Amino acid sequence: MKLTEDEIRKITFEAISELGDQITPEAVKELVRKRVEAMGGDYKFQKGEVSSGRVILTSFGLNHPGIVAGVTKALGDANCDIQDLSQKLLGDFFTMIMVIDITSSQKDLKEIQEEMNKVAESLRVKIYLQHEDVFRFMHRI
Amino acid sequence: MPYEFEEILETIRMTEIEHFDIRTVTMGISLRDCHDRNIEVTKQKIYDKIIRYGSQHVKLAKEVEAQYGISIANKRVSVTPISIPFDACNMEEFIEIAKTLDKAAEEIGIDYIAGYSALVQKGMTNGERELIKSIPYALSQTKRVCSSVNIGSTKAGINMDAVNMMSEVIKLTAEKTKDHDSIGCAKLVVFANAVEDNPFVAGAFHGVSEPEIVLNVGISGPGVVLEAIKEAGHVDLQQLSEVIKRTIFKITRAGELIGRKVAEKNGIPFGIVDISLAPTPAEGDSIGDILIAMGVEDVGAPGTTAALAMLNDSVKKAGLMASSSVGGMSGAFIPVSEDMGMIRAVQAGNLSLEKLEAMTAVCSVGLDMIAVPGDTTATTIAGIIADEAAIGIINDKTTAVRIIPAYGKKVGDMVDYGGLLGKAPIMNVRTISSAGFVGRGGRIPAPMRSLTN
Repeated sequence: MKLTEDEIRKITFEAISELGDQITPEAVKELVRKRVEAMGGDYKFQKGEVSSGRVILTSFGLNHPGIVAGVTKALGDANCDIQDLSQKLLGDFFTMIMVIDITSSQKDLKEIQEEMNKVAESLRVKIYLQHEDVFRFMHRI
Repeated sequence: MPYEFEEILETIRMTEIEHFDIRTVTMGISLRDCHDRNIEVTKQKIYDKIIRYGSQHVKLAKEVEAQYGISIANKRVSVTPISIPFDACNMEEFIEIAKTLDKAAEEIGIDYIAGYSALVQKGMTNGERELIKSIPYALSQTKRVCSSVNIGSTKAGINMDAVNMMSEVIKLTAEKTKDHDSIGCAKLVVFANAVEDNPFVAGAFHGVSEPEIVLNVGISGPGVVLEAIKEAGHVDLQQLSEVIKRTIFKITRAGELIGRKVAEKNGIPFGIVDISLAPTPAEGDSIGDILIAMGVEDVGAPGTTAALAMLNDSVKKAGLMASSSVGGMSGAFIPVSEDMGMIRAVQAGNLSLEKLEAMTAVCSVGLDMIAVPGDTTATTIAGIIADEAAIGIINDKTTAVRIIPAYGKKVGDMVDYGGLLGKAPIMNVRTISSAGFVGRGGRIPAPMRSLTN
C-alpha cells in the first residue's frame, strides 16, 4: 500500500503531539516508521526518492547498423529490464522507443542517463530517458 | 506498448523542439515569525529561515528536471510582503532587510527573490509608507530582490495617493539604475487585485493567508501552442479553440506533476499550478507569434484583442480540467520585452500603448515590461497606472503595470537586459497631461462590482 504525502504528514503530526516533551527528530522518525508499517505502508516513500519504476527511452537519428545492439548492450550491462520495444524506420531516419524497468539496476536514473549519453555520442544518435509518469500524466486521464 | 508511438514522440517534440518547459517553481516562505526589536536579530532570522527552507531548492528541482526530461527555467523564492511583519521598521532598516534577502538568494543559488512588497489598496500604515519610499534604494543596491505594491482592488477601489507615490518611486528607481538601462523598474510591479499565490517573479509574494511554506508552479509553453495552431491549418474558431485546449491540457498536466514532485522532494506542501502562458525571448516562444498564427497580420491589428481573449479563455478551460489546484494569475502574459513577436510589432509601429492596454482587459497581468521615454512625467505614469488599475477593479481581475521610463532614452531607442528580461523598444506615450485628475489624490471608491453580498 502506498500512502499519500498528506497521509504521511498527518501521521507525523500525530506522532509529534504524542511525543510531547520527549520529542527528538529520531523519536519522531521511529514512531512514524512504526505507524506507517502498522498500516501496511511502505516507509521507503518517506525518503522521497523515486528512483524506482519504469522509464521510457526514446532514441532517434540517422540509421546505421548497430544502434539497437549498442543501446541494449549498455542497458543489459546496467541490469535494466526491457519490457517493451518498438522500432520504426522513416526513410533513413531511425526511431526507437523502449519501456524499461530500472528497479533491479544497481544504478539510479541519473547514472543510467549519463551512461546513455555516452552511448548516444558514440552511436551518433539522440537518446532521451524520462520517467514514465510524465507520459502517463500527459496522455492518460 | 502502454503508450502510442505518436504520444511519446509528441512529448519529446514538445520538450526538445518547441521550448516546452516549466517556467518557474517558486517556494513561498512565510517570514511572519522573523520580527525582532533589534534589526540585526531580524536580519539574522530572515536569513536563517530562507537558508533553512531554500538551501536544497535548486538542487532538488534539477533532480526532477533530469528525472522527467522537462527543464525548469526558473527556481525562485517568494516571501511574505516585507511591510507586514516588519511594519515597525524605518526606511533605512527596510533597505537593510532588502540586502539580507539579496544575500540569502545568492547563497541558495537563485536569481530572484520576490516579496519586497506592500498592500496599500485602501490606505497605508507608517511602515508601508517607509517601505515604499525605500524601494528605489533597495532595488538599486541589490541584484536579486523584486518588489511589488498593490494599489487597488475591487473591494477597496484605487488608492490614488499610493498611485502617485508609486509613479515617483518608478521615476526615481529608473534614475538610480540609469547605468543599467533603468533595470530597477523591471523588478518593480504595481498591482491591482494582486493574488497571494502567484509564482511568477517579479510580482510574486507569499500572501498572508498562505501556509508556513508552499511550492507553487508556473507553466510556460507558447512555443507548443504555436506549433499546434500552425499544424491545425485553416480550421474555424471553435475547432481552433479545441486545438489550443488539447495542447494546454497536456502542458498543465506535466506542470502539476513536476510541481508535486519538487514539493515532495523538498518535503513541503504543494500549492497551485499557475496556468499562465508565459513567453520567453527565445525565438518561437512568443504570444505575439500565436496571435499572428491565429490570423491577424501583426499584433495590434484589429481583431488582436478578440484573438487574445479566445486564447486566454481556452487556456483557462483546459487548465482547469487538467489540474485540481489552479491558482495564481492563470492567463496569458503579454510582456513586451520578453516576447519577440511583441517587440517586432512595436518596432514596426503596429502595436501602440493604447492597443496593449485594450489587450490587458482580456488576459492576465497588464502593461508588462513596457519601456517609455525617460522624460515621461510622473503624473503621466500615474495616469497609466490608474487606467490599468481601473480595468482590473471594474472587471474583478488582476492587472499590473511594470513600466520602465528608461533614463535618458527616447522613442526609437532600445533597452536591453539580456536573459529572460529581454529587450524593449522605447514606446511612444501621449504627452497630454493627466496631472489635473491624478493630482486630486484620495481614493476612487470601490466599484458596484464589489457589492456582491
